[in-house]
Amino acid sequence: MMSKFYNTHTIWIAMIVLTISTYAMGKFGYSGLGIVLFLLLTAVIKGTVIIRDFMELKGVSFLWRAIMYGWLWIVTIAIAITYVMT
Amino acid sequence: MNTAIAEKEPKLLPGDLAIWFFIFMELFVFFVAFISYAVMRSKNVEMFNEYQLTLNTELGAANTILLITSSYFVVRAIHAIKLDDTKACAFWLYSALAGGAGFLILKSFEYYDKFSHGINLETNTFYFFYLSLTMFHFLHVILGMIILLFIAIKVQRGGYGAKNHVGIESGASYWHMVDLVWIILFPLVYIIR
Repeated sequence: MMSKFYNTHTIWIAMIVLTISTYAMGKFGYSGLGIVLFLLLTAVIKGTVIIRDFMELKGVSFLWRAIMYGWLWIVTIAIAITYVMT
Repeated sequence: MNTAIAEKEPKLLPGDLAIWFFIFMELFVFFVAFISYAVMRSKNVEMFNEYQLTLNTELGAANTILLITSSYFVVRAIHAIKLDDTKACAFWLYSALAGGAGFLILKSFEYYDKFSHGINLETNTFYFFYLSLTMFHFLHVILGMIILLFIAIKVQRGGYGAKNHVGIESGASYWHMVDLVWIILFPLVYIIR
């Protein structure tokens, strides 16, 4: 179950906190490129721990990790590009 | 003297390889859908920003918490079965199902609110994407729940154990994929502007 501070339980709590911070950004009406990038980075962090720790892909063959992390990063970067361009 | 150094073999994918090909296929479809949304938004920024404000972000956030928590319960179920604790495994799987059911109920409230205001796929481009993206995800939640339910019943009947839990890992991987997709969908459609 990993370390005392980085384990399934703390990951779950951290993701709840990140979700509340994402919600708060929307609720307070924050906008702008910096906020967009912050929110996308938050999504990447949450996606990374889901892939790494919940799906348990840590330590599997590079190909599988490349597909999953690649999907996460390509989706996020592509979305970011469309926001940067507007 | 044997000086050979044992190389560490990569871990195998959890679950059945077939479910992973299914997951990759699903992720590709959602990739196309997300990029389509982002591109269409870039061509209609004001309209997307205006109608995004009509969405219920409280329900969206609550649903995100429900799915994350449900995924966490599935992780607990996997840990339990690895310890051969079938009772705990079944408990966590049914808890995960309750999280999924909570998601469907909240999402249904959201749809009811929109449909009762006459909103449908033809209302405008924003609602077309909002409804089609979230409904497509909604169907995946239902499919994930059906898979988890079959697995939970099989666990209760003693069909899985510490040495035989590939099926549970396959279902768990699919459920985490449903969570992963929502992690992108929620900020993209409800929050980012």
